[in-house]
Amino acid sequence: MAATAQDSLAPLRSGEGKKDEDREEETEYSPFYGIEKGAVLQEARIFHDPNLDPRRCSQVITKLLYLLHQGETFTKKEASDVFFAATKLFQAKDPHLRRMVYLCIKDICPGSDEVIIVTSSLMKDMNSRVELYRSNAVRVLCQIVDGQLLAQIERYLKQAVVDKSPVVAASVLVSAVHLIKHNGEIIKRWVNEVTEAAQSRQPMVQFHAVALLHALRASDRLAVSKLVTQLTRAQVKSPLAQCLLVRYVSQVIADSQPGPGGESRPFYDYLEGCLRHKSESVIFEAARAICNLRDVTARELTPAITVLQLFLSSSKPVLRFAAVRTLNKVAMSHPMAVTNCNIDMESLISDQNRSIATLAITTLLKTGSEGSVDKLLKQIGGFMSDIGDDFKVVVVGAIRSLALKFPAKQRALMGFLASVLREEGGFEYKKAIVQAILELIQEIPDAREAGLGHLCEFIEDCEFTFLSVQVLALLGREGPTTKEPARYIRYIYNRIILENATVRAAAVSALASFGARVPELTARVVVLLKRALYDNDDEVRDRATLHLTQLGGAAGGPEAICPSLQLNLAAMEGALAAYLASDDTQQPFDVSTVPKAAPEAKLPKPQGGLMAAAAAGGTAAAAGGAAAGGAAAAGSAGGAGAAAGYSSQYEAIIKARPEFASLGPLFKSCAPVRLTEEDTEYAIHAVKHVFAEHLVLQFDCTNTIAEQCLEDVSVMLDLAEAPEFEAETVLPLASMPLNEVGQCFSVLRRPAGISAGKMGCVLKFTVKEIDPSTGEAEEEGYEDEYQLEDVEVSGSDHIRPLGLANCQCSASPNIRLLCSADSLLLLLLPPPHHQLEDVEVSGSDYIRPLGLGNFRGAWESLDPATEREDDYGLGPREALQDTVETVMGILGMHPCEGTEAVPPNARSHTVLLAGQLPGDVRALVRLSFGMGADGQVAMKVVSRGDSEEASEAVHAVIQEA
Amino acid sequence: MSGWWSRLLDWLRSLFFKREMELSLIGLQNAGKSSLVNVLTTGSFHEDMIPTVGFNMRKVTKGGVTIKMWDLGGQPRFRSLWERYCRGVQAIVYVVDAADHDAVQVSAKELAALLAKPSLAGIPLLLLGNKNDIPGALGTQQLIERMGLQSLTGREVCCYSISCKVQNNIDITLEWLTKHAKS
Repeated sequence: MAATAQDSLAPLRSGEGKKDEDREEETEYSPFYGIEKGAVLQEARIFHDPNLDPRRCSQVITKLLYLLHQGETFTKKEASDVFFAATKLFQAKDPHLRRMVYLCIKDICPGSDEVIIVTSSLMKDMNSRVELYRSNAVRVLCQIVDGQLLAQIERYLKQAVVDKSPVVAASVLVSAVHLIKHNGEIIKRWVNEVTEAAQSRQPMVQFHAVALLHALRASDRLAVSKLVTQLTRAQVKSPLAQCLLVRYVSQVIADSQPGPGGESRPFYDYLEGCLRHKSESVIFEAARAICNLRDVTARELTPAITVLQLFLSSSKPVLRFAAVRTLNKVAMSHPMAVTNCNIDMESLISDQNRSIATLAITTLLKTGSEGSVDKLLKQIGGFMSDIGDDFKVVVVGAIRSLALKFPAKQRALMGFLASVLREEGGFEYKKAIVQAILELIQEIPDAREAGLGHLCEFIEDCEFTFLSVQVLALLGREGPTTKEPARYIRYIYNRIILENATVRAAAVSALASFGARVPELTARVVVLLKRALYDNDDEVRDRATLHLTQLGGAAGGPEAICPSLQLNLAAMEGALAAYLASDDTQQPFDVSTVPKAAPEAKLPKPQGGLMAAAAAGGTAAAAGGAAAGGAAAAGSAGGAGAAAGYSSQYEAIIKARPEFASLGPLFKSCAPVRLTEEDTEYAIHAVKHVFAEHLVLQFDCTNTIAEQCLEDVSVMLDLAEAPEFEAETVLPLASMPLNEVGQCFSVLRRPAGISAGKMGCVLKFTVKEIDPSTGEAEEEGYEDEYQLEDVEVSGSDHIRPLGLANCQCSASPNIRLLCSADSLLLLLLPPPHHQLEDVEVSGSDYIRPLGLGNFRGAWESLDPATEREDDYGLGPREALQDTVETVMGILGMHPCEGTEAVPPNARSHTVLLAGQLPGDVRALVRLSFGMGADGQVAMKVVSRGDSEEASEAVHAVIQEA
Repeated sequence: MSGWWSRLLDWLRSLFFKREMELSLIGLQNAGKSSLVNVLTTGSFHEDMIPTVGFNMRKVTKGGVTIKMWDLGGQPRFRSLWERYCRGVQAIVYVVDAADHDAVQVSAKELAALLAKPSLAGIPLLLLGNKNDIPGALGTQQLIERMGLQSLTGREVCCYSISCKVQNNIDITLEWLTKHAKS
């Protein structure tokens, strides 16, 4: 805004701002050149003049509006002063001035308590004989009225809908579209008038009437469908209205359930008919609608493509652009259908408009046959330098997909990428090219050597550190396995000599990788690495030292340079947390205890994998560093969202404690619950572990106070609100040093089946002050308590999913806790007592989701006698999908047969869920959702189980929520 | 004949002495402001008036004077806006429903609050007790007392008892107004 406001100070068109006498005439100044708010507000005082000068007043208003549209703001006082002054202008009879007054009121519009002052004057104008007054007064009035006033003037507005003058009618209709948001009920009463207006001969009236009719029914799909049917039969003459209608039609088609194959789509004939319309906009709209149809067939596409093909050779650039853009989209899904247009599109490559040319090229690349690739590449090469970076990225993307489609042509395409890589370009563009080459290297084995060669050349002269590092990491990984690894050494070593520290460090690592994996090169690499020992950057020196030691056989040997971390990262994180919590940190952490992850089928993104490897390589220095490296890798994996096997990490923790062996197998671990506010002295998370007859509460404790060391930490449970539970043992945490996660446990005995309740928690511990000078804890400590939030155990905690890979939950917050040492809080000693909230145990804590392939079969196999049915009203909801997800979240059960996905805009839906309760008892649920017109959602729950209790448990969980 | 002569004289006078005035008509709702405007401009009275939402601007030429009238709404939400339309006028005409005894007190308070504004200092005030055709309506003396007009200083104050319905004392009101027009 500020930038545009400055423009008002600059002449519209002038070589330089000089005001030479003879130059004056050449320079064309904006009439608003250099105007200032203060001066204009002063000028606005002429509105109060008893003898008004309409011409001058209009000019002042124009200036005011100009300032407003340049982003200038008026204070409340200024706005209301100007507004009231402008209201005085109603006394003038000048129609031009009156128009400006309307605009002024609409734009300056002060508070609603002040703006009502003009109501009476506007109402008078609304009934005036001058059309211009009528239409504009209606527009302003509709903007300022409230519901009550609207009811008073409704009569006049309704009448104006069918006004003879198209200007007036269109004004009311447009205003009504705006009013519908807040006063829908009143507008609904005008349906007859609006329907009449929809038959008007005036194009604008018809257009707005159609829009209003649709807006009135927008919330009701059936009514929209009916309206569209009705309108498609009636004569809609206005091209704009027809465009609108085509859009509504495509919306109705999208909403309707696809019919069984072979049956023709409703309204398709109408759309096809529109292709023969007089107006080009209608033709295009219809063609676009057909192209966007869901699961459109080639036969349905043909007429639309034919029309678009004609547009391609139109003399109007906008038509060519619209057509080629639509074809470009179609080419993604139906390349064959577009091939007919290829000849026309080839002529567009040389179009003056670069946007059209680029779209034509990319479309051709998508549809092109193997034979035409070379020709296309030549043509693109010709104009690559003329187009903007955004379009270049599009072209690169198209080239990449083309190369993946025709691997035989990779040589030519790779050559093209390499040549554009050498040209000037911004970071995004270069990144796109590098990504494309990386992908080609990974997907097409033949392209590897050539691709690496091009990338080597690229980093010789690369101004982007990020890309250099990425390429170097790739070279380190791929280079050693090529036929001639030696040729890459020179490129990499050049980086160590020439580049900045980040790149040098990456180059050292890449070089070391060659040394480790290509025995014949080791000696030469060692020589080169030794030179890096005198680098002036710490990281580079460290890496060089480490890698030299490793190549010498120490510190894990050469294998450690490129470690393959194929671990289940979530399990690794759990194991590390347990390791840190346990007392004997003297023993190094043993990575071999962590379960191996299945090798990833494909790296999600090249750089993600590369960076993880680089991080691991860089930090795996000392023995203790191994754990840190693992943690860093786990952190990056957490970011990538790989959090499978979440339950298993807790299983490992539980198994590690001999105290729990007697409890039997673990049934389910629930997601961690935070028991303290963010940023408090201590961070406590509770995890509920359900066993056959026990409930184990695991408390992950983190101390964030630097001056304290907590010892003998345990959590006292108040079982007053959970009578079914009985405290059995408490396993305290011996010490809780700064920022380390430790666990203490409480074992509760619980009755078989589902038991729910809420437990108050108090953290008890002994505080020992840490002497800031020595960093040692003092001998003497004192006991303290800290109130925590409630732990709730619900029925769904007892249900677990079955079949499909263990339950999938979000990564635990502990991962982040472990890695972030930055959240240090220096607080004074806590007061002796803190009020905290209690821990609740609810029914859903016992439910474990269960995945089933054949829901129907399983359903039939269960005893119908166990069936329980109930209806629930869920109140107004935004969409069914959210509702379904919420209910599934409450129940903690697994959706079957993909029923968890609700079709778009569906008004009713059935979800099938399966879950398992303790004792391997199954429970199956059929949820039927229905949504009323007002957004109210009703849910019918039918459940069956292996036992009646299981079936009832489901209802108990829902009622609880 | 004499009527014809006086009209001719008026016309001649208006050619040479073109005078105009601006006044604002205020008062509580249902006091009869819009009715007064109608009576002054068209000479007719209507029973069924709708409340003024905001303001009406009317111009009338009487006796060689063009009078611009800002007829403002009297509902509570408009009262704070009166002042803006009273600034710089030649006269403030305050209309009171003399037959509605309860409203007079509120009316007096609103008037006092309005006249206390420094921007309106010195502007002549004409207080009109409307609806004197209704039995029990307050007379001029009572109005002066109830509205606290004696305590007003620094401005010309005048009070008439009128009726728009039966057009009582409208002529002297008009006379007062034309007298205050500026030339």
